[in-house]
Amino acid sequence: MSDRRLEAVGLGELKVADRPDQVLVCYGLGSCVGLALYDPVVRIGAMVHVVLPDSSMGRGREAPPGKYADTGVEAAVAALVDAGASRSRLIAKAAGGARMLRLAGSNPQLDIGARNTEAVRAALARHQIRLVAEDMGGTYGRTLQLFIETGRVLVSTVGRGEHEL
Amino acid sequence: MKLQPSQWTALEQMVTQALAESSRSLSQMTTGEIRLDAPQLSFVPLRELPGVAGGPDHVVTAVYVGIEGELQGHVILLFQPKEARALVDLLLGHPAGTCRELDELGRSALAEVGNICGSAFMNAIADRSGLEVKPTPPVLLEDMAGAILQTVATDLLLTGDEALVIATGFNGAVPGHFLLMPNTESMARLITTLEAIR
Repeated sequence: MSDRRLEAVGLGELKVADRPDQVLVCYGLGSCVGLALYDPVVRIGAMVHVVLPDSSMGRGREAPPGKYADTGVEAAVAALVDAGASRSRLIAKAAGGARMLRLAGSNPQLDIGARNTEAVRAALARHQIRLVAEDMGGTYGRTLQLFIETGRVLVSTVGRGEHEL
Repeated sequence: MKLQPSQWTALEQMVTQALAESSRSLSQMTTGEIRLDAPQLSFVPLRELPGVAGGPDHVVTAVYVGIEGELQGHVILLFQPKEARALVDLLLGHPAGTCRELDELGRSALAEVGNICGSAFMNAIADRSGLEVKPTPPVLLEDMAGAILQTVATDLLLTGDEALVIATGFNGAVPGHFLLMPNTESMARLITTLEAIR
């Protein structure tokens, strides 16, 4: 495993990878959703670190491509197709969308996790991409990894271990 | 956030006053001497916040207190888990190294620290600005720094880019961070208030 190259996908970022030694990682997802897209035939993948559900929430400034679910999914699909993937073969796996501050209760802004989850599902549906596995919701953080060589997707948590999606 | 030297001084004074008030309340609560160390203030871009705690997948102990009223925002008290346990021992008057896992008592002691310090910050702001602000009940979390901070950063990303990070410590022995994150409108109000102080 030590010869693999871990590449962090930060808040709002989108990364495409096509080399077998590459592993894309969203570290410490809370209310954000990490979305892994993969074409198993040409072995090209992408990861998006979605922060907010909808680009209409923007402030008119230039936003990173993965910041919003709607624009993030669109940009990721376009980038994958550019890199040689087939739109119809793409499969999606996603994790995150937690409600970290459930007990705070009173601030609806902080339940953005559920809205991100819904928005990612809807954006995938619009692009007719299958969401084959997901680990969303709850009140805890997650780290999501996509192994480009195999398309394997791992979710790790604190105190709940690691599992494959 | 660009502050004039006079605004910066006023902000430091406000924070120092809040920490002094926190020290007083904590000492009363614990019947021991709890002293918050001299603060170091900086503005940190929201996307770099997880870095102050060792990175996004680094486990941290956090106490969250929301700011409500005429200013809105978030206060987070952030510790390495080891330091949080050391603080529990300090608060409960136990020998160092007693607290290994956070039990009910330890959790409520830390939550109370968040409550006291959060209230002190809000009182300091209210004293200087005349604005009415109040804290929400504290919430204690132990999880990945990224997951905790991202959730709050997400709320702020709608309106702002930076958080005020106050590095301090307890009795010179237990380092911790306060993250003071008013939304942009509230930050502007706060700065206006600081401008009025000479």
